[in-house]
Amino acid sequence: MRAREWTGRRRTTYLILAISTIGSANLAPAQRPDSTEFFESKIRPLFAAKCQECHGPKQQLGQLDLSRPEGLQRNTSAITPATQPVLVPGDPNASLLIRAVRYQSDIKMPPAGRLSESEIADLTRWVELGAPWPEETKAGKIKTRAPGQPITDEERAFWAFQPVTHPAPPKVRNESWLRTPVDRFILARLESQGDTPAPPVDKLTLLRRVTYDLTGLPPTEREIGEFLEDSSSGAYRKVVERLLASSRYGERWGRHWLDVARYADSTGVDEDHKYPYAWKYRDYVIDAFNEDLPYDRFLQEQVAGDLMPTQGAGEVNARGIIATGFLALGPKLIAEQDKKKMFYDIVDEQIEVVGKSILGLTLQCARCHDHKFDPIPTRDYYSLASIFASTKNLEDWQAHVSKLYFAPLVPSEIAERYYSHQKKIELKKQEIANVVDEQTAFHVMRLLPQLPAYLVAARELLGTPAEEETEMARSVATAETTAAPPAKQVLASVSMKYSLDAALLTEWVDYLKPIKEVRPHLDRWRQADSAALQAVVRAYQTDFEKTATKRYDDLSGWRAKFAEAVAKGEETPERPRFFDGENRFFTETTAAKGPLGVSKEERERLFSLGAVEQLARLDNELNELNSTLPPKPAMANAVAEDKPIEQHVFISGNVRRLGDLAPKGFPVVLAGDDQPAITQGSGRLELARWLSSPNNPLTARVMVNRIWQWHFGAGLVRTPNNFGKLGERPTHAALLDYLATEFVRSGWSIKAMHRLILFSNAYSMSTEVDADNYRSDPENRLWSHFNRRRMDAEEIRDSLLAIEGTIDFGMGGTLQTGTGMGMTTTSQIPPFDVSTSFRRTVYLPLRRSNIAKMLTLFDFGDAVTSTGRRARTNVAPQALFMMNSKFVSRVAKGLTRRVLAERGTPDEQRVRSAWLTILAKEPSQIEIGEALVYIREFQEGAAEKDFTEIEGSRQQEGHHLSADQPAYYYGPSTLAAWQSYCKILVASNDFIYIQ
Amino acid sequence: MRPPFEQVARVPVSRRALLRQTACGFGLLGLRALLAAEETRDPLAPKKPHFRARAQRVIFLFMHGGPSHLDTFDPKPRLIRDHGKPLPFKRPLTFAEEQVGGLLGSPFEFQKRGQSGIEISELFPNLAQHADDLCFIRSMVGDSVAHGGALMQLHTGTNTFTRPSWGSWVVYGLGTENRNLPGFITLKPTLFHGGSKNYSANFLPAAYEGTAVGYAALSPDDLEQPIQYLQNTELTSEQQRFELQMLHKINRRAAERARFDPQLEGRIQAFELAARMQTEAPEAFDISKESEATKKLYGLDGEETRDFGWQCLVARRLSERGVRFVQASHTYRVGNPVGWDAHSNLVPNHVGRAKQVDLPIAGLLKDLKSRGLLSDTLVVWSGEFGRTPVAQSGDGRDHNPYGYTSWMTGAGVKAGFVYGATDEFGYHAVEDRMHIHDLHATVLHILGLDHKQLTYFHGGRDFRLTDVAGEAATKLLA
Repeated sequence: MRAREWTGRRRTTYLILAISTIGSANLAPAQRPDSTEFFESKIRPLFAAKCQECHGPKQQLGQLDLSRPEGLQRNTSAITPATQPVLVPGDPNASLLIRAVRYQSDIKMPPAGRLSESEIADLTRWVELGAPWPEETKAGKIKTRAPGQPITDEERAFWAFQPVTHPAPPKVRNESWLRTPVDRFILARLESQGDTPAPPVDKLTLLRRVTYDLTGLPPTEREIGEFLEDSSSGAYRKVVERLLASSRYGERWGRHWLDVARYADSTGVDEDHKYPYAWKYRDYVIDAFNEDLPYDRFLQEQVAGDLMPTQGAGEVNARGIIATGFLALGPKLIAEQDKKKMFYDIVDEQIEVVGKSILGLTLQCARCHDHKFDPIPTRDYYSLASIFASTKNLEDWQAHVSKLYFAPLVPSEIAERYYSHQKKIELKKQEIANVVDEQTAFHVMRLLPQLPAYLVAARELLGTPAEEETEMARSVATAETTAAPPAKQVLASVSMKYSLDAALLTEWVDYLKPIKEVRPHLDRWRQADSAALQAVVRAYQTDFEKTATKRYDDLSGWRAKFAEAVAKGEETPERPRFFDGENRFFTETTAAKGPLGVSKEERERLFSLGAVEQLARLDNELNELNSTLPPKPAMANAVAEDKPIEQHVFISGNVRRLGDLAPKGFPVVLAGDDQPAITQGSGRLELARWLSSPNNPLTARVMVNRIWQWHFGAGLVRTPNNFGKLGERPTHAALLDYLATEFVRSGWSIKAMHRLILFSNAYSMSTEVDADNYRSDPENRLWSHFNRRRMDAEEIRDSLLAIEGTIDFGMGGTLQTGTGMGMTTTSQIPPFDVSTSFRRTVYLPLRRSNIAKMLTLFDFGDAVTSTGRRARTNVAPQALFMMNSKFVSRVAKGLTRRVLAERGTPDEQRVRSAWLTILAKEPSQIEIGEALVYIREFQEGAAEKDFTEIEGSRQQEGHHLSADQPAYYYGPSTLAAWQSYCKILVASNDFIYIQ
Repeated sequence: MRPPFEQVARVPVSRRALLRQTACGFGLLGLRALLAAEETRDPLAPKKPHFRARAQRVIFLFMHGGPSHLDTFDPKPRLIRDHGKPLPFKRPLTFAEEQVGGLLGSPFEFQKRGQSGIEISELFPNLAQHADDLCFIRSMVGDSVAHGGALMQLHTGTNTFTRPSWGSWVVYGLGTENRNLPGFITLKPTLFHGGSKNYSANFLPAAYEGTAVGYAALSPDDLEQPIQYLQNTELTSEQQRFELQMLHKINRRAAERARFDPQLEGRIQAFELAARMQTEAPEAFDISKESEATKKLYGLDGEETRDFGWQCLVARRLSERGVRFVQASHTYRVGNPVGWDAHSNLVPNHVGRAKQVDLPIAGLLKDLKSRGLLSDTLVVWSGEFGRTPVAQSGDGRDHNPYGYTSWMTGAGVKAGFVYGATDEFGYHAVEDRMHIHDLHATVLHILGLDHKQLTYFHGGRDFRLTDVAGEAATKLLA
């Protein structure tokens, strides 16, 4: 299978073989070029066919694994010292491998039969050659690192780990093309390749491009008009400034960051518990972009905001706490029962998101072994793990289903007051329950002697089950035959006969009559014949008494302890558990609704006078407590400091196999060997400072690359989350460093970066490409033209609402309610229907287990890992959405109403207005002509069809038709024709592509 | 990446001809269309397997909650004998540490069935009639004791990360036979325990994402249209065709203006394909033309069996039409709030659940057989784990991923066959252990795919459904 067929990545080479050698230390590095082929054609198949059954991935007899090079280096200390090495590259006679296959040693391999002479000769030759073992990688000529390999100078010299340089913009021939320094870098490369930049784009296209780019929305008709009329040289600059100042900007660019931060409103993966306050983090991000919060500060707050001093007079750094949602909002399997594994899965997830999003490094790869490609030893991973493992992520991670941590955003004494009041309420409720328990027990024991009589009487009333039912009484089918209730007189006479209470007997009959639910514990009673019935009902009584006595004794003993603890103000003991299944008959009959139980209404009648009075008093006290409960303090899904731990390396990532101690710290290849020890706290604050330091070679580069990518559709490094060896190299290294330098120099201002880029000529090139440029650079790595870009899911939905004229620009807050997993929100309700809200898409709830269909359809992704760059697919189901969804249809209808609203407007003008609203484009005369023909023809065809829906809406409006409503003037076929035309424009490429 | 110009000549003539027709021109225009074809080559087009395929497609019957193997397909006389006694060895990690009792003998009777004499309990009287066709795997093993992780592992191979679903992998590997339907369809999936993550393409291209038909709680009667956005409720088909022509006219003009951008032509093709899907797909879900006898066969006339019966019938219709991977899910919903998850009340729970699926599954097998579909369709039945031999909460059983039973039938597997075994208590798989990775490798193998070769390059390395493990169980292959 060609793995990368559809990746859309570079695939000029499918398989490049790199050569590494076994036991490299004692081996001549010279390799004959054909050794790869020799190994692949002769040796690897031989190992696979003849050896790996016993010495392979499945089992490693004699500690040998002939499926991988390391598998031949067994740990000789573990076996007798006299044993020969399995393999001495270059020396077949000294290699046990060869002696064994020659049957020359005590060990004769394979035991089932000697290899053929040619096979033995091949193996011998392979060892003579130095036992070359070609490494398969598909990523290019990249060697995997050997485990435990120290970081080499060559690795330290890797471009991304070098300090950011301050390159001067290069010289170019065509100086007249330049607008900002950015242009020099772009043009210089193009000129060196003999390419020319594309011509500038027309005014209207540029307006649409930059408006979507900065706000994710189309320009309005008014904005288009203003821009076209403004012929001053500063017209474009004015637009950019207007857009940067708009709150819509933060919603668009904040969403970019939320992709990187894998933001969502629930834990996802297993039970999908809600993060009830996740939205506060989302709003924080949007605000941060709108305020142009310096990026270094932005990072610091997200990693350690809770530890940073407050800016104002408030005692709690609410904003900082909320910002740490960045760490807290990852996917979590909180019902996992291997709690320690779960704990470190959460740590791992945080390392991954910090690594990818801030440093562009796949640090998580070093959890089980040293990173295979980048110089990140496992020890560095656990040095970071130590920081996150010393951070509080869960309120109670050891609970059966771990409890999420909610950080109060008020001073601790206020939060404490609330919690302790809540505790009082809980205790009061328990006090009430205790009285009820005690009284119920008295009642049940009082009725116990008569239990057999009721069972016998009920049986007489309900009759014996039919013959076929007894055969398989537990079958659901039989249980469905619900007996008619016995008539009143019959009931009265039977209760008389056995001297029983008629009302109570009715309750027994209600309980015992066949119902749909299968109740095997009633089978003995149902199936007993009349001779056995007495014995059977006595057995029920005995069982019942045994359970009841034990249970009531347990409870009364516990009540005493509970009362004592409450009196002393100590932690109350846990109520003894009872498992319903231990005696289901007891459980069901004594439940409040059961024949022996006491319902709330019955209490007054069945409980002692003293108890009834006591309950009334306790109820009053509870009401009082409820009414004086202080308001719930504001909370956030955030992290906090926990007890600092000493972290060991986990061998092979196994949380139960401890290796060396890994003191808190940062990756050595970036931070050096000589790091100051972190002796207090979790170390998050130190981490935040290190990450956001101007000296960190990655942080600024990674972010300016993202900014470039979000403007141009691709980065200068085309793997935005991976600046490591497996990532791509920058296409314009000097430009990347220039931008990184300017970024830091501007005080980490993201808006300054926008200006630098948006005012360049590079940004205002058209999407036109000539054949030469296309041939030499089909991926446009040199930026000879602007990349045409398909809208993302949010742009599509927000544009639809804008076109419809219904978009609600209300900011912030949440559309999700409640906490917990809420079965009602996951398994029972449909996925969120995006057409039901008019808010911008960034504000829609994101349940990881159940992301709205329309969003995933347009490549929103799954909000589980940091997304550096979204996919942009082009598939039929997207087309179905455009043509068939009620949402698009509704939008087209909404626009139709607006377009047709004014009576006297000529149809040409209406077509133009639809084009401007949907496409931000002027139609040509031909296009207008086509549109009018289409509308007329559709109308003629449509007149025959009964447009019930449109007709219906027309009638509905009939009550208050006024002259400004199109339905007043136009028949349903006209409306349908215009609606269809508007829909076509929405479905067209001119809409979905930003040029 | 776009292919270099030199490759253009190697594009088959038929495609060239086809595209020339749609792109209405020669020269540069035709060339561009060809490039577009390369770039937007149909990711769902059928692909050759690695080796001979024993089956062409899969129907996966998922039993959410974890059916007890000890009460269905893996009889343990020892539990009857030692009922109530403590387990004589240390319990492995379980879901609930509390409410644990002694050994719990199955309250259900087992009987030898068919020629093969395989024992099946009274819970599955209808399925039992197919005993001689079934291939039981009594040695299933997973890594998760909690539902979430276990569902994820069964569906995606991992209980730690989110990864592509096995249905997505299969369609990625083989494409699909019918381009008017999605290649991977999941009927009424649960939105719980991973929800859509269980049928997500994750890092595989979105074309391989499972298409959900309804969701767990939605009754088939309330399903407005099988696939979201598939049908247009406002326009006639002539009007839609008329619309599409106009759209093409506008899009073609734009494509001609924009040179060298295969996306644009690709999107025109996507609309064409969508139109074909819309015309032909609804019929696949329309069971109204099925005979009354067929509906009865699947239990559509029974209140209990209707829901899963509908899924089984639709699964057959989809398989018949060449959908590569179809999943039916018996899962948590109103009236069935815990699925097979019998932590207590084992008898009523399992009686009720078995009744909901037994008849429909038997009907499906019978129908597939009589239509000759069983000869190239593989049917897989599995929960996310089995249940413990010790009682929980008195009359229930806890989760047990250490040894449980799944079964397969149809193309590629031995019939009337039992593979693997658990220990005499039914706690651990001891013979021919079939880890979920192995199950995945085996299913891929039956489809002609080598699980080690079916890789996808993502985030700097190759990924597999089976990660670094898995082995196809060749012993059970027919």
